[in-house]
Amino acid sequence: MDWDQLDMNPRVIAALKKANLRSIKEVLNLSGADLQRLTKLSSTDIQYLLKAVSGALRKNSVLTALQLFQDENLGTSQRQKLSLGCPVLDGLLRGGIPLTGITEIAGESSAGKTQIGLQLCLSVQYPYEHGGLESGAVYICTEDAFPHKRLQQLIERQSQLRADVPHDIVQKIKFGNSIFVEHAADIETFHECIAKRINVLLARGMVRLVVIDSIAALFRCEFAAKDSVLKAKYLQTFGAKLHRLSSTFRTPVVCINQVTDTMGEALTDDHSSPCSTGRSVVPALGITWSNQLLMRLMVSRTGHLVQPAGSTLRIMRVVFAPHLPQSACYYTVNAQGVKGTRTETPT
Amino acid sequence: MKEKAAALPVPREGKEPAPLGRSGAGTIGGSVPRPRTFFMEQRDLGSFSLPPSLRAKLVAAGFQTSQEVLDVRPCELSKEIGVSKQEALEILQVIRGDCCGNGGSSGNTARKYTALELLEKEQDQGFIVTFCSALDDVLGGGVHLTKVTEICGAPGVGKTQLCMQLAVDVQFPECFGGLAGEAVFIDTEGSFMVDRVVDMASACVQHCQLIAEVHPEEGHQAALETFTLENILSHIYYFRCHDYVELLAQVYLLPDFLSEHPKVRLVVIDGIAFPFRHDFEDLSLRTRLLNGLAQQLITIANDHTLAVVLTNQMTTRIGQSHSSLVPALGESWGHAATIRIILHWENKQRLATLYKSPSQKESAVPYCVTPQGFRDIQLPPPDLAENKTNPRKRPREEEQ
Repeated sequence: MDWDQLDMNPRVIAALKKANLRSIKEVLNLSGADLQRLTKLSSTDIQYLLKAVSGALRKNSVLTALQLFQDENLGTSQRQKLSLGCPVLDGLLRGGIPLTGITEIAGESSAGKTQIGLQLCLSVQYPYEHGGLESGAVYICTEDAFPHKRLQQLIERQSQLRADVPHDIVQKIKFGNSIFVEHAADIETFHECIAKRINVLLARGMVRLVVIDSIAALFRCEFAAKDSVLKAKYLQTFGAKLHRLSSTFRTPVVCINQVTDTMGEALTDDHSSPCSTGRSVVPALGITWSNQLLMRLMVSRTGHLVQPAGSTLRIMRVVFAPHLPQSACYYTVNAQGVKGTRTETPT
Repeated sequence: MKEKAAALPVPREGKEPAPLGRSGAGTIGGSVPRPRTFFMEQRDLGSFSLPPSLRAKLVAAGFQTSQEVLDVRPCELSKEIGVSKQEALEILQVIRGDCCGNGGSSGNTARKYTALELLEKEQDQGFIVTFCSALDDVLGGGVHLTKVTEICGAPGVGKTQLCMQLAVDVQFPECFGGLAGEAVFIDTEGSFMVDRVVDMASACVQHCQLIAEVHPEEGHQAALETFTLENILSHIYYFRCHDYVELLAQVYLLPDFLSEHPKVRLVVIDGIAFPFRHDFEDLSLRTRLLNGLAQQLITIANDHTLAVVLTNQMTTRIGQSHSSLVPALGESWGHAATIRIILHWENKQRLATLYKSPSQKESAVPYCVTPQGFRDIQLPPPDLAENKTNPRKRPREEEQ
């Protein structure tokens, strides 16, 4: 930090330099009394210094809720969401996935989590007016190999799934070219991946979506029960990194998570009790991870078949989200992709 | 904390005409003679936070008390003690600031209140209602001004919802029993969704319109004209802080912002825990910063007569036989807030437990989060029943 740029008395700036304080962070990490001791300035000076430094860091950052509400700018508007590629599911989520924050999709195996992840990778490439972000996606696999074949199948049938979008627009997008697949089988690789490699892609604007499939797999094998403190620390670090990426680049981060069975009374009054019926399952990784999330969706199979195609009816529930009520919507997965159904509860 | 310190000198003032006995007479504030100003100006120069070199020069020139220094002009002082004009000016600023009571902490503690004055002041201030009457009752009317209230809870239980609700409720017009204030919302997690606030604000406006229809009194219509969705939204000041340094900086800037916006009656920090819970190798630094922050917030709450509401995450504490959920940030942070509410789930029912309060007893009440906002638990249909209970509640508050 170049202190000379700040609007402060030269005497104060000289004292700052003499005290060997180099950054705003260093100054703010010290209490007023400590600063006074280090710089030998008076308390009035210190108060003014803290305000000047804070002002330099924060600029004029106030917004009213009305400004947020009326913001139509594509670069900043909160109203802008990433479409799931299906109007019914978008309706459940009030337009889709919010652009800043971590969204979790949790569910049992074969509930359709990966399918939703893949579909998001495609819908992010559409133009803004069709719910996309006109950019590519990164898909980080941590357990299975990336489902290339399924992706090809989905790409071929995009024009059927997205009948709302003019045919020539769908044809023009080269879907396969803008999906970057990363494999990260252990924690170190994953850390490097989100700390460095993804940063480059995001900074160049090549990517506006990060899908992690799945976050739990990283932690399942490496940590024994006694390592829970270390595990919590990793989860917090990852959560913070992803948060930072998401808000810096206005890029949604979608984490796919596994579920664990709850055992006995001790866990049933847990924080995420409204989970799928029947077997009682909760998303893996516990409350440390839940604290990192903006919203959590749970998906599961219902055991009912949808008549024409014979595919299983599945359900997507909003477990929590700051802008959504706890609600649910049925959907199916077929050759074209994931589609919500407006049907009421099947009898 | 500050209040306890201010209330301590009560016995000394009690020797003068006992204020408690005159409680029936109504206002008493100004009638008690205060020798304070005189006393202050006789203060020894050693007690001011002046640089030692300047203090030595002052003393060498024969100055002993603040009164003597205040009598001279900056130019004279600079000549007399042989310092630059700027330094002379600063000396005077420090001394004048301390004596007039607006120059930092020493000025504030000098103002004394009797316990009765404090009680009256607190009753005058009013509360921010939560729209959940059960929770209001538990809190003793609502969220208190001049206090720091902490809301703890697991993700998804409704912390942010309560904060957004309060940011709308604080703007309730005065004739409906509200504070007609404004709100500052500091968001560290990015969970402030303006669409949700719009839902709550619209419900609130509608609610007032219904009251105005049932009780067609004067002033209601006039108040409704300004209590619109747009006005509510434009009086919520939103700050987004991405890490703890930005949060600290924002809190340093708050006093100035609040002086420019004197109608602000609520400062929300949602949440306090997130920026402090990762990448902190040095836990003693964290504790120190948090304590400093808590102290600043208490000062802000007192100086600007507003409520500070914080949200905190929950964390697992592993005990010997079983593990339990406790608020994050550790033991010492537990002292930061005056009032602590824990929101939690129990058998698919949301409960709010008052966990710490200086005046109310610990108890738990159910609540729910409806499309309209944070509400009492009610049998369906929720919005019809609610409109029946709340108009009854308002007049009772106005009577007080």
